[in-house]
Amino acid sequence: MLADDMACNARNKYPAQVFNNENHKLNLYGDNVEVDYHGYEVTVENFLRVLTGRHEAAVPRSKRLLSDEGSHILLYMTGHGGDEFLKFQDSEELQSHDLADAVKQMKEKHRFKELLIMVDTCQAATLFSQLHSPGVLAIGSSMKGENSYSHHLDSDVGVSVVDRFTFYTLAFFEKLNMYDNASLSSLFTSYNPTLLMSTTYYRTDLYQRKLEEVSVTNFFGSVMETIHTDSAYRTTHSRKTSETKMPLQESVKHDERRQLINSNVQDQTSDTKIEDKQCPFTRRWNAFQDKLEKIERIDSLVNYGFIIMFPLLLIIMFPLLLISTWLLPTFVS
Amino acid sequence: MQIEASLWNASWATDGGRMQISLSYAPFEARYRGFDVARCSVDKSSDMNQCYASHYWWNEVKKFRVKEMELSFTQGRWRYEQWGGFDPLSSNNAKPPGVELWAVFDVPQSLVDVYWRNLTHTLSGLFCASINFLESSTTYSAPELTFKPSFGNLRYGTLPREAVCTENLTPWLKLLPCRDKAGLSALMDRPSIYRGFYHSQRLRLTSSESGSDEVDSGIGLEQTLTVVLQPSSWRTGKTYSVETNIQPSWSISSIFGRNIPGKCVIAKSSNVYLHLDNGLVGELKNLERENAKYVANTFESEGFQSNHAFKISVTPDKVFEEVDYLHGKSTSVIYGFSVEKYSDSQPFDLGLTWKIPVVWSCQQAPLHASRFLMGSGNERGAIAISLESTESSEGLPTSHIIDGRCELRVDIFQVVPWYIKVYFHTLQVFVDKQPRAMADVVDKIRVSPSKDKVSPGVMEMILKLPCGSKSAAFSLEFDKGFLHIDEYPPDANQGFDIPSALISFPSFNARMNFSEDEFLNNSPILSKFQETSPVLSYTEVLLIPLTTPDFSMPYNVITITCTVFALYFGSLLNVLRRRVDEEERILRSRAGRKAGWISQLLSRLSAKLRGRPQEQPTSSLPYSFISFRLVLKILLVASIAVTWQYYFG
Repeated sequence: MLADDMACNARNKYPAQVFNNENHKLNLYGDNVEVDYHGYEVTVENFLRVLTGRHEAAVPRSKRLLSDEGSHILLYMTGHGGDEFLKFQDSEELQSHDLADAVKQMKEKHRFKELLIMVDTCQAATLFSQLHSPGVLAIGSSMKGENSYSHHLDSDVGVSVVDRFTFYTLAFFEKLNMYDNASLSSLFTSYNPTLLMSTTYYRTDLYQRKLEEVSVTNFFGSVMETIHTDSAYRTTHSRKTSETKMPLQESVKHDERRQLINSNVQDQTSDTKIEDKQCPFTRRWNAFQDKLEKIERIDSLVNYGFIIMFPLLLIIMFPLLLISTWLLPTFVS
Repeated sequence: MQIEASLWNASWATDGGRMQISLSYAPFEARYRGFDVARCSVDKSSDMNQCYASHYWWNEVKKFRVKEMELSFTQGRWRYEQWGGFDPLSSNNAKPPGVELWAVFDVPQSLVDVYWRNLTHTLSGLFCASINFLESSTTYSAPELTFKPSFGNLRYGTLPREAVCTENLTPWLKLLPCRDKAGLSALMDRPSIYRGFYHSQRLRLTSSESGSDEVDSGIGLEQTLTVVLQPSSWRTGKTYSVETNIQPSWSISSIFGRNIPGKCVIAKSSNVYLHLDNGLVGELKNLERENAKYVANTFESEGFQSNHAFKISVTPDKVFEEVDYLHGKSTSVIYGFSVEKYSDSQPFDLGLTWKIPVVWSCQQAPLHASRFLMGSGNERGAIAISLESTESSEGLPTSHIIDGRCELRVDIFQVVPWYIKVYFHTLQVFVDKQPRAMADVVDKIRVSPSKDKVSPGVMEMILKLPCGSKSAAFSLEFDKGFLHIDEYPPDANQGFDIPSALISFPSFNARMNFSEDEFLNNSPILSKFQETSPVLSYTEVLLIPLTTPDFSMPYNVITITCTVFALYFGSLLNVLRRRVDEEERILRSRAGRKAGWISQLLSRLSAKLRGRPQEQPTSSLPYSFISFRLVLKILLVASIAVTWQYYFG
């Protein structure tokens, strides 16, 4: 989503070129750039529609986020922002609770497995303060009360070409070799607050994996190892067989769905191991939680719960009511 | 409706006779399950139209049912005064700025809007442009006189403010078989193209389904990219030196920074043409005549590569000279170069070096059209179209002369958005600066008045102007309307656009005539030049400032209103609820009630701790919070919530 047309703007001295550095070495607006939403289409409504997938029927596929429960999504936002908001087009704001709600909807609709949100605005860390869905990692270029600054001015083009956070992110990636296997924690710790003139803040409380083990290609591009095999291609098994343990040799065929199934299996085995060491109460509580997670029709359960709750409440509260209103005063007075 | 099963014993069905049907297994029984018929049933044949609706899968095959379509992305304005307006190049390739889309559909008239909507969305996804804004009825119109007869199935829409950049060019190039990797399209260096004064990419789709012998049924796609560039003397840092006074020389590599690496393997032919238009040719011939001593190297001599005026770096494979039926009119020359014999190792690079200064002008359309706004203020104004005669009205065809009077036919097509409320009764015509009656000049006029927020105002006029007229002008008054606050774009104070008007001169043909040559039939671009098409020209886009509201007013209104309500209701409630001496009564009643034993215990304990004498318990725990009334209220609200959730959740 690009709100303004910078590359082919009449005021751009270098048409169809957007540089990140004064030396004009790297043209970011390459030949294969794809801008799905530009100009007046960049609105908060369209942004939330893209995230949640709630489009009108006529919207073409290239304008949709076609993700499923195995996808890793990178969401990068830059511009002007403030305490709990991000500015859109100088007339609208994206608020942090709207973003958190959209991410929650995405999680409920299984639209992502892992989501990385990078925000490069003033007071960026406040934008993701309301997130509470699991599997989300977020980093902002500045904390509450701090501004984010641009890096340098290109006097030839006449504007500042890049922000500091973006500049150092790009610098980190330019230094990497394709097979370096750098981890996300090395990226997140590479930001120097003195150079950035702001403190980057990242939250990992919603993200289960350890940052040292996650490589940057998890979100930024991908390096896929392809193994040539002459055997015929077999289709993936249906979901029902996910409970059975898959032999490890088959996991070598790189198929994202299969990897997902594998991790489920491993989670189950690890769960069973932990269970033996816990006391019965926690075991029952965990079992209850697991059962709760596996329930599909949550809505009907909630409805039934509501209906059952009242008689239950009445039964419990009735003796208390009696005691407090009628019996106690008679006792006391 | 039925299903039939049959067994085939032919050689093609039995793997060349190897797997024949063994009839000893006869009789064969076929069983069917899950026979599901998708149908659209109608009672009368007049209801058939509903079967064309897009939700039936059989309409998905030719999903968009487009018979003909043209989509163009343009940035910049075609300068008719400098670049000409009469030749087929400028007539066909000069397009209005922004996006222009028109399409003819092959569906019943009631469904055309639905198909138009789907088409705009799909094109916006394909070309990374906001063409989906054309889906709303306020942006498109249905002209009837301007384009070829379409019986109400044509829709036309334009977005004047759409920016065109790399992301629009790349999908366009990806429609070519070799994309931008081989052939002529490998020349498309994006910075060079977008540096130009004008660039326009056009896509024309024709779908012919007639099963006649000559025309194959199929879809034809024609893509044209028009760029107007300046030979970049400033790219190399040098400025165009005024002392030498020679027009700048150029070559393909100097303009694009690349060469043509041979042709695309799938292409039937790949050619480069160098067109010297008739103004230039005429000038060169004049110069030759003046400098008679250069007879040896005349322009028409064999050595086309070099003559006294310029030098081309590559020998042309073919030279076409335009045949002129009207005497006195200078002819243009086209040099054709075939790219087939070039390759990656030996790329094609054409260069032209000027030797002497030449000044020429391109032939213009008979009348130069321009459009402007009149009036001031944010309430009303007027649109004026002015047609000025150019010098180049050379030799009108005799078909103009009707009934002894010579008339010049001009067609005007203009679409005005609904918030510019045009009053068609105020249309005034001036010929040679004298007001004229409408009936004298206007032959036919078709007007579709605008409806607020529903459809724009469309005006199609056919005029007959007297031949010798030097100028003509039209003015049309309008009132400015108000938009709803949500309908304003984020940069509302820039203004709003009135799209270009299309002026065409059907009596004049923008075509080149060449002598019969079978090479011409193989060259699509030259055969296109030979097609008869009217001379077209587009006017400017008008920018109108509309009154904009104060966009911070909703916030102000909410804040003020809430404050007023809060103050009013707060004080009202306070005043109503409070009774005189009520507080004292409450305190007395509380004191009268005995305190519970828990609180008594606690107060005794605290007194002992503090070492003070025990005080009389003055206040007690308010029992009211477990009062019956409150419990009833909670129950009521909760039951409402449950029923709501159940029925509406």
